[in-house]
Amino acid sequence: MTTDSPIARACALRKDYGKNESLVRAVDGVDLDIAQGETLAVMGPSGCGKSTLLHLLGGLDRPSGGELWLHGKRIDLMSERALAQVRHRDVGFVFQAFHLMDELTARENLELPMLLAGRSPRAARRRAADLLEQVGLADRSAHLPSALSGGQRQRVAVARALANEPLLILADEPTGNLDSAATLEILRLFKRLHAAGQTLVIVTHDERIAATADRLISMRDGVFVDETRLTGGTGGGLSALIGLEG
Amino acid sequence: MQQEVVLAMLAKEPSQGYQLRARLDQALGPLGEGLNAGHLYVTLGRLEKAGLVALEGAEVSSARSERKVYQLTPAGAERVAEWLSEVSWPKPDLAEFHLKLIAAAQAGLADPIGIVNAQRRELLRRLREAQQAAVDEPDRSDAALLLEGIALRLQADLRWLEACEQTWTERRRTR
Amino acid sequence: MGKLLLVYRLAVKDVRHRPAQALLLLLAIAAGAATLTLGLALGGTTNNPYARTKAATSGPDVVADVAPSGFSGTANASELAPLEHTSGVVAHSGPFPVTWALLRTGHATAGAEVEGRSAAPSPVDQPTMLRGSWLRPGGVVVEAGFADALGLRVGDRLTLGARSFRVDGIAVTAAFPSYTQLCSLGCTLVGAVGNYDPGLVWVSQADVAPLAGGSEPVEYFLNLKLADPGAAAGFAARYSAHAFPAGPGANPSLSGLSLTAWQDIRASDAKALANVRLVLLTGSWLLALLALASVAVLVGGRMAEQTRRVGLLKAVGGTPRLVAVVLLAENALVGLCAAAVGLLAGWLAGPLINGAGAGLLGAPSIPPLTGSTVGIVIALALAVAIVATFVPAIRAAGQSTVAALEDAARPPGRRAWAIRLSAHLPATLLVGVRLAVRRPRRLVLSVFSVAVTASGLVAVLILHTSSAGWSLGPRVTEATTIVSVMLVVLAAVNAVFIAWTTVIEARHPAALTRALGATPKQITAGLSVTQLLPALIGALLGIPGGIGIYDAAKNGGATTIPSVIGLVLIVAVTLLVIAVLTAIPARIGARRPVAEVLQAETA
Repeated sequence: MTTDSPIARACALRKDYGKNESLVRAVDGVDLDIAQGETLAVMGPSGCGKSTLLHLLGGLDRPSGGELWLHGKRIDLMSERALAQVRHRDVGFVFQAFHLMDELTARENLELPMLLAGRSPRAARRRAADLLEQVGLADRSAHLPSALSGGQRQRVAVARALANEPLLILADEPTGNLDSAATLEILRLFKRLHAAGQTLVIVTHDERIAATADRLISMRDGVFVDETRLTGGTGGGLSALIGLEG
Repeated sequence: MQQEVVLAMLAKEPSQGYQLRARLDQALGPLGEGLNAGHLYVTLGRLEKAGLVALEGAEVSSARSERKVYQLTPAGAERVAEWLSEVSWPKPDLAEFHLKLIAAAQAGLADPIGIVNAQRRELLRRLREAQQAAVDEPDRSDAALLLEGIALRLQADLRWLEACEQTWTERRRTR
Repeated sequence: MGKLLLVYRLAVKDVRHRPAQALLLLLAIAAGAATLTLGLALGGTTNNPYARTKAATSGPDVVADVAPSGFSGTANASELAPLEHTSGVVAHSGPFPVTWALLRTGHATAGAEVEGRSAAPSPVDQPTMLRGSWLRPGGVVVEAGFADALGLRVGDRLTLGARSFRVDGIAVTAAFPSYTQLCSLGCTLVGAVGNYDPGLVWVSQADVAPLAGGSEPVEYFLNLKLADPGAAAGFAARYSAHAFPAGPGANPSLSGLSLTAWQDIRASDAKALANVRLVLLTGSWLLALLALASVAVLVGGRMAEQTRRVGLLKAVGGTPRLVAVVLLAENALVGLCAAAVGLLAGWLAGPLINGAGAGLLGAPSIPPLTGSTVGIVIALALAVAIVATFVPAIRAAGQSTVAALEDAARPPGRRAWAIRLSAHLPATLLVGVRLAVRRPRRLVLSVFSVAVTASGLVAVLILHTSSAGWSLGPRVTEATTIVSVMLVVLAAVNAVFIAWTTVIEARHPAALTRALGATPKQITAGLSVTQLLPALIGALLGIPGGIGIYDAAKNGGATTIPSVIGLVLIVAVTLLVIAVLTAIPARIGARRPVAEVLQAETA
């Protein structure tokens, strides 16, 4: 379901690194609207600025220029403290390297953002169990990350991103470190999230992931170069994919 | 329908047409939906003419096609064995697309980058379908494995198209 | 020979590659070495200085003094006369009049025991001048320890009683115990002088009576030399008990005649030093413990890199033995340099403690570093460096090459109880507790470091409060100050280093926690909590620790409980100092851009 106002919007967003001769425009004037409930994929070669864009959207980094709105609030002007609130309330991040705490079990990893957001330990524990069930890892709740496969770790990470019921899930190369089977697990998970109405922004250079999005944006050298809508209208049907005819 | 495929399907045991069809469906999953039964029988007919397949029993003319029981001849069995040990991999037809781009650019008929992008979109849509289907399949089923192969191929092709776009963009810039 | 050169080169290269760490290690060991040097050097000063003074001044074997009856007025000098010709006595000087007066310099008031002497030299006990000249009219000569304590120099003016005198010289004697112990064998302190622990001065005989002025008693002292100095104790005991036939006018039942043997004087002298020496020795032990803790932290922090270096060395063909030798050589190198620095520092700081020896001949100059001192210090510094690196060296050398090369940092510890507990705490404490328990060994070392320092400070507190009313003397105070300062400095270095290591190591979890929604303030405070928790525990442990140390050093007597206010102050100041020291690393650690840190960790 889509509402009229976008859940996130960027206007002329910029991020620069370095100065003078070594100035790099990682993100160079990007305009973007993200509608509620859509899955957006951003693709591009390495160094094109897609990860930087995601970090800006998630409040992990501050833009050098432009405006950034999240759910009607301007987050580029927020103090660190307010940004921290955004991070644990409005946005959930999924990283390529999972970034789970090695010394915490799966369940404790899920509880952490909830505890930081001020939930009571009991409520946090209950919701963590719930989330693990949703991602199919209820039997692994007491396992340390070292005892989980790559795909399982990423599922825990996705569950963690969902912990505080965020407006937006931002995934940075979520399947970058995963093999084919684990990638499929994550795809299934994303599909379920999409069906449940969750807004997803995925940065990837894996075309297989990108192809599952509603909207696919190509990025190069800090700017958007192409936008494709992939929903609606396919040609040929599935069996056209294999050359068994004729 | 590739002849060797049908031959190999018969290698297990002599089968009727509809049994063969069922086996193929099973192996292809949703991808087999568009399989035309007629094509299967045409292929069987050709194989029979080539002496690789023989009809079992005497009900030749009157029986309906589905009820005919086909079986491998020794020559057929030999062909199957050969085919199984061949290592040729179906060739992707990149040359055609490549020439398409060059022709368009040289003749000024169309923007090669536009062609690339259009092809990309099409491949992405196909990839999306394959991926959606793969997600719905149970893990490690036959169809899932095939879908993975298709997806990976499409991915490889998409990467090449990406490279095409980069190169043609640079060419345009330096011109 | 080639192997030796290789080892040397590898060791030196590694030290040059990480100079800051090597420097910290060096500082830690050097501090311990310096204190040890001081303590040992001081021990050297106390070897037979009294004997030297006695020989140089023709010191007496027995000192006899007679006090006036009722402790007022002037004593009867004739009571001493019979002693001059008693069998066994070969020479004598005196009787000299002795009284007490208040001494005032420009900036201090003190009590003085005043002995009247003539300008002509005496056959027994002629004080030897360290500076200036002997008595001149209108002048006073001050005992060396006393002069040092008051900061008096030749030519200064002071007032004794109501009169102004000029300091003519500074001298030493063996007839009285040196300053702070002057009255350890008994003084008659009357009136205002009783508020001070007196020192010894000499004036012309004629000046004594006016000084007494009628309010202070005037005693007479007689110095005796015996044929057999060893029999002095027996002589003193025998003749104290007898009341000689008194001269006319004397009241035998009230006259006070007492004799003191030179052995007792020597013992009192030693006491003045003993306290200082005890303070320094205890201090050295504490500092050595602290140094060990620093070394353990420093070395532990380097273990990951050491292990990889081991892997590299082995991969290029080094045997496990070679590897172990290189590691040990490196740390031994640092240990040697630290010993040198410590010896130098101790040598230079010698004069500070020297004053106690100033009252005894032979030590106006810096005490020389004896061979044994140098040897002990070097040996100990090397031992500390080697022992602390033994474990990682052996462990690293025993690992398989591949394991060593791939050795990532040790995974953080998991303490389920801490994780469970911290879930119920507010965000700052949650972060702090979880970070603290990731490295239990570092936590323990933090606690240990603070506990040792706090123990030292508590012991010093007890020392000062229990001596209230009877001054410790400037030497002991200086010694305790120096030890306290060194303890605090070393502990501060430890705290800063541990804080930095923690911050660097907590980079990833801190960034991740911020990505999950913690504010930078919460992270900063959390990182501080990580240091404050062990500091609190350590400071509290320091209280029984300090009491224990004081009792052990005192060797007997009742346990002294220090003042509660002092204890609270020590704990509070400790926490404050740790908080301040760790604030900067904590702040820096909490402000790095999150994305940068997380990206780096994936590389």
